[in-house]
Amino acid sequence: MSMILLVALLAGLLAGIVLAHFQKRAWQVPPLRFLWLVVIGFLPQAVIFYLPSTHSRIPDWVVGSSLIVSQVVLLVFCWFNRRVAGIWILACGLVLNLTVIAANGGFMPISPQTAGHLVPATVLAKYQIGSRFGTGKDILLLPEHTRLVWLSDQFLPPAWSPYQVAFSLGDIFIAAGAFWLMLTQGKTLQVSKIVEKDKP
Amino acid sequence: MQTKLAQLSIFVSKFDRRYLQLAFALLALVLLVLGAGAPEDGGRGMCR
Repeated sequence: MSMILLVALLAGLLAGIVLAHFQKRAWQVPPLRFLWLVVIGFLPQAVIFYLPSTHSRIPDWVVGSSLIVSQVVLLVFCWFNRRVAGIWILACGLVLNLTVIAANGGFMPISPQTAGHLVPATVLAKYQIGSRFGTGKDILLLPEHTRLVWLSDQFLPPAWSPYQVAFSLGDIFIAAGAFWLMLTQGKTLQVSKIVEKDKP
Repeated sequence: MQTKLAQLSIFVSKFDRRYLQLAFALLALVLLVLGAGAPEDGGRGMCR
């Protein structure tokens, strides 16, 4: 579901390791506090989206409310770690996603036109407007019925890409923040040090 | 039960604490991006 975000995290980790190698030091995990808050915050999402035995049995109103609560807890974690480089970019994305999700009943809106790029027309025809799109965080809504439509899952990769995924402006910030966090290991990037070390 | 806990404690102590902290931090970061983001691939992604 969120492969593009994991790819951003992994790319940041690899870039961070390469950068640390050039700076002749070991890559270190970002200095994050209250990591247990992330586990607590993610727990409701694990149950409602990721566990096959539970995700289809929970009523939509519980799913919507749980998603909002879960993301608020993750936002609290970001607040405690706001001085760590990259976290504030990620937090901006989280705020954008949380805002549009809260404004649309606890789900991320996606238009039928965008959803049509992800599943065949026969599959899309089974979904009604206003119903959840699959078992993820999205809800199928017409753009004119969507609040804050510019924050919804409206972006798509180029048509030639074999992997089609709809993502929001918030997702872009989250991917950028995750990449930057792993690249800099949560510290302010000091380019001058790299340049000085490379001088003969 | 206490024996099992003691065995688990010994098993965990065999690992370097730094590696455990690193693994937990990376896991938490994965959970953070999964929890914060909301991209949708229709459950298939490669359907085209």
